[in-house]
Amino acid sequence: MKTARFIALVLLAGCFAGIIHGTANLAIVEPYLDEAIGIENQNLFSSGEEQDTPEFWVEYSSYRDWQKGGQVLAGAILGTSVGALFGIIFAFSRRSLPGNHNVKKALILAGIMWLTIYFIPFLKYPANPPTVGDPETVVLRSILYLSFIAISGFGALGFYKLSNRLDKSKKIAAVLGYAIFISVIFVAMPQNPDEVIAPMDLVNGFRAMSLIAVSIYWIALGIILGAFWQKLQPDKSLQTYTS
Amino acid sequence: MSYSEEIIVSKQAVPTFAVVILAIIFGFGLFLVGYDQGHLFSIIQGAEAFDDLFIHELTHDMRHAAGFPCH
Repeated sequence: MKTARFIALVLLAGCFAGIIHGTANLAIVEPYLDEAIGIENQNLFSSGEEQDTPEFWVEYSSYRDWQKGGQVLAGAILGTSVGALFGIIFAFSRRSLPGNHNVKKALILAGIMWLTIYFIPFLKYPANPPTVGDPETVVLRSILYLSFIAISGFGALGFYKLSNRLDKSKKIAAVLGYAIFISVIFVAMPQNPDEVIAPMDLVNGFRAMSLIAVSIYWIALGIILGAFWQKLQPDKSLQTYTS
Repeated sequence: MSYSEEIIVSKQAVPTFAVVILAIIFGFGLFLVGYDQGHLFSIIQGAEAFDDLFIHELTHDMRHAAGFPCH
């Protein structure tokens, strides 16, 4: 495999998909973030921690602009890093993925990864807007979220390896095995310790838009990486023989 | 008489070097966007970086939108 071409196409695909993700967030998630931060500000004024003064709003606008501006850049960074993981797994599993076109193969893998390392963890620990979340528990919540993703991802990998040893007619057993495994983990893992005190229509709207935007990322990643792979064929090289 | 023949060779083996590079990028990017609380800039800025939270603020909106616990 051509190493430089492989690395470059994987990183570019992830970066482009991440930029799409960041742009989607700006369009559909950002209004919910603004609303949630507005509630946070009101709480600060009510508690006396901050005063509703022009100076406050100048400082607020400054860092909110910085945060909003970072959406696309952070999307590109996150997209590139998750794309790197996706590229590694795609390279190892491409031949066993169904389909005769690399876009189809990449989309199938993107769907599997979306389900196992995003959607199932999201069901257990859904995204929350600002105003939800006690700073005192952020380390615990981070450990729980990352652990669940790792357990689900490595669990899926383990059952995939197991399925390779099974006859074609028995491969469904591996899928059922993963379903049972992750169901047990889902029930056994502790709940998010924080109480949701923000309005539920805001929280649910934010979660729905977050889900849509992340799903757009995975679809974009599958299409772009698959198309790049199809075009650049990093696993193939032209060799000339003279006799 | 000699002749040349061109054939496309398929090499399926994934280079270890590429896997290592991509794994490092994955870990670094995930930490930067999802978990950094001033750690990275503290290397050059010192303890002040944990108050400034430069990277945290930059990635704040994506952190929430992508599902990471933020604060």
